[in-house]
Amino acid sequence: MNKVLKGVFILALLLIYTTGFAKSISFVGAGSTFAYPLYSKMFNVYHNKTGIKVNYQAVGSGAGQRQIIARAIDFGASDAFMSDAQMSKAPAKLLHIPIALGAVVMTYNLNIKGKLRLTPAIITGIYLGKIKKWNDKQIKSVNPHLNLPAENIVVVHRSDGSGTTFIFTDYLSKVSKQWRKKVGRDTSVGWPVGIGGKGNAGVAGLVKQIPGAIGYVELIYASSNNMPMAYLQNSYGNFIYPSLDSVTAAANTKIPDDTRVSLTDTPAPTGYPIAGMTWLLVYQQQHYLGRSKAKAEAFAKLIWWMTHDAQRYTKPLEYSPLPKNVVKLAENILKSMTYDGKAIIR
Amino acid sequence: MNDMVKKLKLRQIQDKLFTAIIGIFSIAMLLPLFFILFYIIKNGAAAINWHFITSLPKPVGQTGGISNAIVGTIELIGIASLIAIPLALFTGIYIKEFEKNKLAAAVSSLTDLLQGVPSIVIGIVCYLWIVLPLKSFSLLSGAVALAIMMLPMIIKSTYHSLRLVPESLKEASLALGTPYYRTVIKVMLPAAASGILTGIILSVSRVAGETAPLLFTAFGNPFMNFSIDKPVNSLPLLIFNYATSPFSDWQKQAWGASLILIIMISVLNIISKFMEHKWKTTY
Repeated sequence: MNKVLKGVFILALLLIYTTGFAKSISFVGAGSTFAYPLYSKMFNVYHNKTGIKVNYQAVGSGAGQRQIIARAIDFGASDAFMSDAQMSKAPAKLLHIPIALGAVVMTYNLNIKGKLRLTPAIITGIYLGKIKKWNDKQIKSVNPHLNLPAENIVVVHRSDGSGTTFIFTDYLSKVSKQWRKKVGRDTSVGWPVGIGGKGNAGVAGLVKQIPGAIGYVELIYASSNNMPMAYLQNSYGNFIYPSLDSVTAAANTKIPDDTRVSLTDTPAPTGYPIAGMTWLLVYQQQHYLGRSKAKAEAFAKLIWWMTHDAQRYTKPLEYSPLPKNVVKLAENILKSMTYDGKAIIR
Repeated sequence: MNDMVKKLKLRQIQDKLFTAIIGIFSIAMLLPLFFILFYIIKNGAAAINWHFITSLPKPVGQTGGISNAIVGTIELIGIASLIAIPLALFTGIYIKEFEKNKLAAAVSSLTDLLQGVPSIVIGIVCYLWIVLPLKSFSLLSGAVALAIMMLPMIIKSTYHSLRLVPESLKEASLALGTPYYRTVIKVMLPAAASGILTGIILSVSRVAGETAPLLFTAFGNPFMNFSIDKPVNSLPLLIFNYATSPFSDWQKQAWGASLILIIMISVLNIISKFMEHKWKTTY
């Protein structure tokens, strides 16, 4: 019994000891699952370079927003920008810092030769449950080159709250009045038809298993699983294939100073219509909860690096880098970060 | 006479039939277990090597390991045990020794209730209790969540093991003038040790595979962590994250991590079986 007590005591001492000496700078972030592969690469490189540890956990965009409001983490990450109402729940002003661009692609399970083309009207028709067969007149008229089967269309959507859903429903709300009235845009909505899959991986899995299925996933989930992606007609009338370049082109529009804008249904002629930004969410005033000035400086430096040098890690992982005009905006936002009223980066 | 023989034969056939049915059903019940084991070993064995066990996770495209998750799981279980075992032992002794007391009866039924609380709810409660006030996800909050899950199992096993200790043993000790507390510590507990230890080990192997209470407490961490106030990784969390990722090498690592987790839990189970036999006191 005495031995056990001694062991317990030593273990407790050891824990207190290690706690006291863990003073090196580290950051904790959470949110977007979509940006997880990119962030894990960036933070790994940064750790090897500087020794600073950044712990990023992919808990979903919605959870990322909630945790930064609760101040349980150093930064949140989200594919959906926060509305003014959402931001007012935070104890202080939050900044959105864009890190990369991504695309939501329409992937399908059809035994056809050649790539499917879709128009905004067809996608809304399918997701409203009006277009039920693959050989529908509307689909046939833009795909004269395809031999479309008389199969039923199986609609797949996300079952969990997600930034991907936000981008997708934001797009549908822009191209269809009926969608905006009936369903609207959110991280989760009341779907008129279809079955739900959990996470991007869940949707990709369902589409792969069910013949005649169609679903929306982030670009990398379709391409890493070798799933077909549809050409989409943008607002200019061109059919655009989802690619790094067409996504970057989508951001070539007027972007507000705080970068809180949706990039869907872009007016850019070569832009892919369902594109979106992914942001870091940080507090403007960095002196809170007893943070040291050194920590705030290291934090600003880390984000500066992510928006500049680290942009080269985007393309190998199938994200699109920030266009120059957006990088400039990110710089201005970073410069507005303060510690006791003084700018951290000048 | 002939009738008797006929009846006897019929009964023998019935007997064999039932034995066969019972045998078939018990084998059928084991089949899923064997399928699970077969699948995990088939997919996991290829991922496991020395590098996998001893190095930290790496981003996609580089082969990393899961050492932080293995160490994190051990840390979480260690601290959870430190919290849960003393508490549960005392509670178990209390509800056994004061069985007729109304408070003890209430504690006993509340323990049953605690056992029925879903693990995700315990996770959320620990998030509200520990993570929000301390403003940080931490090893401590994860360990507390696991400790709460361990409590009812250890309390119940302590209670039942103590009940098996004959009353005469306790009376003999008291009759010799041993104080009550010494009787409990030196006579009753050692006599019930095998049952109590088995309960502890089973509760440990039960919580070792929990993901839900850790999602918003221990949180996960790609680095090794030894501080009690920082997030920490664990095997179930890592499996959950990697298995749902789009990358095949992460999915492979999830299989490898599953195999390691299963090995860890089976070792604990084997130890508990061993202890049950070795330390069993018979009267």
